[in-house]
Amino acid sequence: MVNLTIDDKQVTAPKNATIYDAAKMNGISIPILCHDKKLKPFGACRMCLVEVEQMKGRQIPACTTPATEGMIIRTATPDIIKARKMVLELLLLNHPLDCPVCDKSGDCDLQNLTYEYKVNSNRFTDEKFNHEIDYNNPLIERDMNRCVLCGKCARICDEIVSFGALTFIDRGIETKIGCEFEDGLNCEFCGSCISVCPVGSLLARPFKHKARFWAMTKHKSVCGYCATGCNLTLGVKDNKVLTTIYDEDQGFHKGQLCVRGRFGYQFINSAKRLTKPLVRKNGVLTESTWDEALEVVAVRLKGGTAVGALATPRLTNEELSLFKQLLVEKVGTSNFDHSAGYAHAALTKGLVSSFGTAASSATILDIQKSDFLLVLKSDTYETHPVVGFEINMAVKNKDVKLTIISDKRGKLSKLPDAKTTVHRPGSELHLINAIAKALIDENLIDESARTISGFAELTAALSGLTAEAVTEYTGVSSSEIKKIASEYATASKALIIFPVGQAYTGHTAALASALANLSILTGKNGKEGAGVLCLSEKNNSQGAVDAGFYSQGNGLDALQILDGCTSGSIKTLFIAGENPLVSYPNRTKVKAALDAVEFLVVSELFMTDTAAMADVVLPVCSFAEKEGTFTSSDRRVQYIKPAIRKIGQCKTDYEVFSLLLSKLGGTAPVTAAAQFDVLASKTPGYEKLSFAVLRKDGAYAPVSIKPVLVVTKAEKPIAAEPGNLLLVTGSALYHSGTLSQYGEGPMHVCPEGYIEFSRTDAASLKIVENDLVTVTSESGSLQLKVKVSLRIPVGVVFAPYHFAASSINTIWNGAPVTKVSVTK
Amino acid sequence: MSDVAAQNNTEQEPEIDLSIADAVIDKYIDIPGNLMPVLQGVQDEYGYIPRVVADHVAERLNVYPSQIYGVLTFYAQFHLKPRGRFIIRVCVGTACHVQGAPRIVESFFDKLHIGHAETTPDLRFTFEKVACLGACGMAPLAMVNDSTYGGMTVQKVEEIVADYSQRPMK
Repeated sequence: MVNLTIDDKQVTAPKNATIYDAAKMNGISIPILCHDKKLKPFGACRMCLVEVEQMKGRQIPACTTPATEGMIIRTATPDIIKARKMVLELLLLNHPLDCPVCDKSGDCDLQNLTYEYKVNSNRFTDEKFNHEIDYNNPLIERDMNRCVLCGKCARICDEIVSFGALTFIDRGIETKIGCEFEDGLNCEFCGSCISVCPVGSLLARPFKHKARFWAMTKHKSVCGYCATGCNLTLGVKDNKVLTTIYDEDQGFHKGQLCVRGRFGYQFINSAKRLTKPLVRKNGVLTESTWDEALEVVAVRLKGGTAVGALATPRLTNEELSLFKQLLVEKVGTSNFDHSAGYAHAALTKGLVSSFGTAASSATILDIQKSDFLLVLKSDTYETHPVVGFEINMAVKNKDVKLTIISDKRGKLSKLPDAKTTVHRPGSELHLINAIAKALIDENLIDESARTISGFAELTAALSGLTAEAVTEYTGVSSSEIKKIASEYATASKALIIFPVGQAYTGHTAALASALANLSILTGKNGKEGAGVLCLSEKNNSQGAVDAGFYSQGNGLDALQILDGCTSGSIKTLFIAGENPLVSYPNRTKVKAALDAVEFLVVSELFMTDTAAMADVVLPVCSFAEKEGTFTSSDRRVQYIKPAIRKIGQCKTDYEVFSLLLSKLGGTAPVTAAAQFDVLASKTPGYEKLSFAVLRKDGAYAPVSIKPVLVVTKAEKPIAAEPGNLLLVTGSALYHSGTLSQYGEGPMHVCPEGYIEFSRTDAASLKIVENDLVTVTSESGSLQLKVKVSLRIPVGVVFAPYHFAASSINTIWNGAPVTKVSVTK
Repeated sequence: MSDVAAQNNTEQEPEIDLSIADAVIDKYIDIPGNLMPVLQGVQDEYGYIPRVVADHVAERLNVYPSQIYGVLTFYAQFHLKPRGRFIIRVCVGTACHVQGAPRIVESFFDKLHIGHAETTPDLRFTFEKVACLGACGMAPLAMVNDSTYGGMTVQKVEEIVADYSQRPMK
């Protein structure tokens, strides 16, 4: 700590604080334009000038100058005020004063400072800039005429997002912010640059001229896409969510969002939302009343075990637990599941057998506290972009070592000193087992591991699986495997991160256990910055598992339920928000099941392919219209409350389930809060949680693990034959599940499915970017657009799974790797 | 970018052989802070920095393409358009200005049909106005590559253009 005097006030500050930080911590505000607490000090704008007595009254920037012992600082002398006024005058010299039509007005740092310093005239005159405005993309407008060259956009794009789309171009008075060769912006459109822009140079185009900043009410919420659990502030006017507002103090991620969080909100007020219940009459879905629709459903639910249910893990914890209560207590069935079943097996089977609990042993906050990150698939960045930002910051700012094991390269591979081990598709488990074997052989294990149950069995099972032996399957050299093992073992804090989800069929229970084995063998669990972090797919995937909304041995799992529909053992199927026709493997099979089932009820926001097949469609609410809790991947339980009134006649899923429960002779707790209390009392780790506790920042549900070493058997991966390519599926950065198809933002940037080829394969097939090719597998064929990239290894193709229009499950039956042939 | 130069660019770029750039990059790849020497090296090889080369350097050195463009536009030494075989520089510093440099500039414009910092379509000449060449005693002054021409007149402009139009391109 250092002691200093700011404006005649004795204050103390941490040793590494700047003058600006020291003042802020002690309630003294110094104006800033180019400084952002998330970014490295830059010192470009000269707004934060202060006087330091020891520096002979010179004016120095507070944001870049470290606070030192005994400093005597004055932040608002007449000279300082005069200097700041002049800085503003000079900035306003070129800045167009088009505030009345600028969307930033009201939230503009330059406007606020001009007001604060009463700069009502300008002693200087100069021409305004006449730069062309970048309208090349639908999401971010770049108007360099308004720019004050604070560099925050370029810095955040480099330091946090690691994309580097923007930079300073040219020199002197002609300096501007732009992209390479004056191109239009073509990036991942996370909008971080918009969030930090102090003026109206970077604006969200979907929000252009929609509302004045001050006319909106701001509602804190939690993002409804992936399981990172980012916090959002929704800007609402006239019952419409118009934008997301940046709040640099919100959440662990300090307001950082990805393209889905920032630009994917339009589905909430989409004109395509269902607003009235629909009942199939004479073969046609006809508008109906809630009474009629629910009556029909209630009658059909009295079918005991002939009833099956699939729910999306986008529902709240309260809804999922109430749905479970309805099914178990009143319907009398245990046939319910979510996310195709296998998508959560890594948690519910893998980590349960290894850790004794269906949860990760680390949190997202551990990423920056770690020394070594072992990331499986660089897709972590695509499935959970904000976790990707955490990895970027850990590697760039904290010198955390990063090793990626993947079947293709990705953005994470480009981080400084990142090591990427590219293995043959489908051979992850061999590779991880070989690492475990290397840990044991090279005696890199922690002594505690020898006493953990399963050690002898694991050692015996791994006996033949040396690094040399698996090279044949993995294509990775034995020295590389041994190097990963020793780096992982010798790092004092090492964290394993891997994504799971519907597109990641290869990330099975066995793989989760194999990864857990590595952490158990080396004693990495239970420490800060170490452990295993399983990133589940949907915003409440972890919550669905915690609420027990999956088959636990006494009922059918998702794929078995669909088989039951086909065979006739399931007569009524209740699908709450899932879209199996698009997201589950093998479309033909799913279609047959949904055709065969006697009665299908779907509660949905949109008329999805699945809903269109239903006998009753119930219109339900989005996350912005309901109260409840979501649990993120790392078991952070967060509270949401309605930001807008319900759309049309929509009801929340909670209301739907309560009404059905009462129709079947039961009673539901009246409020979501009471339902949460019921859930919390039954769920390990949730005992101390309640809405009152969660309302402000949410809370972590603690995880206690009982490690067991589990033997996992790897099957021989599929090898390509001549003329075949190996298809791996996954997520595209801009999307999440099938819901993001209704977000304008993600759809503008990535409107359709595609198939990604390596340059070599593209050249030998004589195809180029944007060609249409027919991809044929055993289960069917599909036309897809071609993308050519550097990141795909030869012989492998990649396709994302989100799109109904080019449903990848026509050619993919759920295998981790599918053999396909491609014709033009 | 003038239309002529833009045309030149699109006509030229498909023929660019990246192995030349690779040779330069290989020389510096393991040295920290290698961006400037690599860019200077590739400019020496190609005469300017074509976009495909800039993108290739970005890919090989794992630097953002935008960052490379920032460096290329910051330093006057880098050129993004093909340059002529003969670089004509006319001094427009104070001494030369007083001695009639503007008229020298005008007559080069007339003769070559190009403006400041532009290149003739046949890639023979690039014309540049420069602030001072440091030989004010010889004002008005012009340079063609490394040869200096003092006491410039409109007559001499014609002679210089005629002379260099005859010289071989290689």
